Amino acid sequence: MSPEEQKQPTHPETPTAKQAQRSMLLTALYIAQAQYGHLNDEALQRVAERLGLPLSEVYSTASFYSLYRLKPVGRYVIQVCDGLSCHLAGGADTLVDYIRQKLGIRVGETTSDGLFTLQTVECVASCGTSPAVRVNDELYENMTPQKVDRLLDQLAGR
Amino acid sequence: MTKVQITIDGQKIAAEAGSTVLEAAREAGLDIPTLCHHPALSNWGACRICLVEIERQRALQTACTFPVTEGMVVHTESEKVVAARKFVLQLLFSERNHYCMYCQMSGDCELQSLAYRYGLTEWPYPRPVEPLAVDATRQYFVMDHNRCILCRRCVRACAELVANHTLGVRERGIHSMITADLNVPMGESSCIQCGTCLQVCPTGALMDLKSAYRGRETQVERTRSTCVGCSIGCGIELVSRANHLVRIEGDWDAEVNKGLLCVVGRFEPLFDDRQRVTQPLVRRRGLLEPCEWDEALGLVAEKLSGDSLAALITTRATNETMTQFGRLFRSLGAEMAAVGSLAPAPGAEGRLTDLAEADVILVVGADLKKDHQVAGAFVRRAVDRGARLALVADADNGLASYATWHVGFDQMDSLVGMAAQASRPVVVCAADLPAEAEAALAPLAGKASFLGLSRGSNSRGAVAAGLPLSRGGEASARVLYILAEDDRLHIPRNGAGFVVAQASYVGPLTDMADVVLPAPIWAEQSGHVTNTEGRVQSVQAALTPPENVWPTVKVLKTLAGRLNLAL
Repeated sequence: MSPEEQKQPTHPETPTAKQAQRSMLLTALYIAQAQYGHLNDEALQRVAERLGLPLSEVYSTASFYSLYRLKPVGRYVIQVCDGLSCHLAGGADTLVDYIRQKLGIRVGETTSDGLFTLQTVECVASCGTSPAVRVNDELYENMTPQKVDRLLDQLAGR
Repeated sequence: MTKVQITIDGQKIAAEAGSTVLEAAREAGLDIPTLCHHPALSNWGACRICLVEIERQRALQTACTFPVTEGMVVHTESEKVVAARKFVLQLLFSERNHYCMYCQMSGDCELQSLAYRYGLTEWPYPRPVEPLAVDATRQYFVMDHNRCILCRRCVRACAELVANHTLGVRERGIHSMITADLNVPMGESSCIQCGTCLQVCPTGALMDLKSAYRGRETQVERTRSTCVGCSIGCGIELVSRANHLVRIEGDWDAEVNKGLLCVVGRFEPLFDDRQRVTQPLVRRRGLLEPCEWDEALGLVAEKLSGDSLAALITTRATNETMTQFGRLFRSLGAEMAAVGSLAPAPGAEGRLTDLAEADVILVVGADLKKDHQVAGAFVRRAVDRGARLALVADADNGLASYATWHVGFDQMDSLVGMAAQASRPVVVCAADLPAEAEAALAPLAGKASFLGLSRGSNSRGAVAAGLPLSRGGEASARVLYILAEDDRLHIPRNGAGFVVAQASYVGPLTDMADVVLPAPIWAEQSGHVTNTEGRVQSVQAALTPPENVWPTVKVLKTLAGRLNLAL
């Protein structure tokens, strides 16, 4: 860029180059997470370098949002909906307890074979077919312990 | 400036348009309490302690961020405001550990004094405090997260003033914590230990290892002076108690550094553990033995009057010392030199403040992370603002990650050509550049402003006193007189038959000397130094030298008297 182009933007709400880079941070972290599985130091460093942002800023942002993962997760992240509808449908607690026992892990943990991570989430926007479970980006509706059994077997066999 | 009429606590005030309620109130001498606000930092509005009641506003507003408008009516201590502030304080005190009596800041803490002001008498909330690990991985100061109120002054200081961006806040809510880089210990992070965060911390969370528990504000003295750690000459406040240096702080009002300091200026003088020379010493049978001033000066005067003579002076010395030194040794026909050097300035000499306006900054041969670090902060700030840094330096230069272009001396011409095209280029030059590099800068004369960083704190003062500059190793004479004061000079003997060292500390120079004359350290003498921009600044004595240590100028004058020289 020539010094002329470097001049302060004329409109007060036009972002500076720095602000423009910063505005890409959330998307960049999302992409990095998809590539690395979770946001490890290497992923965060690469994001910081590509956007020209300080490491501290990248880490602050990544650790602020609960949907970014700073620790490794299993190949399949099982998110059991803990929202109101799923509760009323009598599912959430039963399903979480059932999966916990079946996999031998607590909520937030990953099985030792690295296959499954169990999480509870606050509504996956499927109230009409509650109780709902999401595995990675796929939705499973009207869940019962029997359906969970079939689903886990199927995933483990993939 | 346009004024707007506002009323604060019944007082009619003409406030500057665009200013905040807080600024207007303080301008009028009214006290609105603050915690996250700091005059040197951006307004944040995070702590909510400065809440005020503004008529026709639905809720209480933060005075530090709310702009004044015509006809505004503000109440700063109404019942509602006081209740809100007390609530905020109760929340702050309900997290982490604020048992003030164990804290080194007790008595000087902004949080504690607000608790007294608003009468906090008990913990109204259960305090589920989990102790947090203290980060003591830095050399000179410690971060105790247990005392942190997350006001983010440190984070803003690191980003906005130092432009080092080491600090951030990790996670959110009750799990929030100040962190460094990718959540690493402070000592392993990109922190440069400038201590600016320490200086702005309102609580005892950042603790200076040297000054902690060594004196409250009411027990210490403050002396405004100038740092002689390098040729920037930052304004400082020397905090002392009972003739001991307790702490060094950056002077917020100093034009040169505006409160910033670096690790060299803030911490290193306090951790100088060299042994002081407290009386004159004369070498007898190979050993230095104490003697009276009279004997030592007699011996020195005798040696100075005879043989070929070389005299060297530290560039940490004041202008007054330089002048006296020059007069004495010039009349003795000595080969004189001050140990330092100036940087080239083939064009108009600039000032550090020029960096704030520059669009291209060409740094030649200087590593501003190692030397002249405060200038480094100003360069980084300029880069954050959108200026581009062109670096002519070794590959491992500390500012490499901020540079748009980074080349070696062999490819310097391309960057000089580019800088010549810029609208406001500033050239920052190190001293002792290769001759080719100096010549390569010629096209920028008349175009750029030049900020030369001289080696040695007061090299410019030496030149003004008529002293030539040198590396210090060239002098060869029968008698060698070295005025080192507290400088760590390395001067070879070069076959001199007799060596006099006027020094504050025991070291290689006193080991070599035949006579040692004790000298005050910089904090014990008043005078002036000339910084690398040519600014003459005042150095003030904050300490009294040990009993038998004479001021440097007095020693030089006494010697002149003994030699019957009228100076």
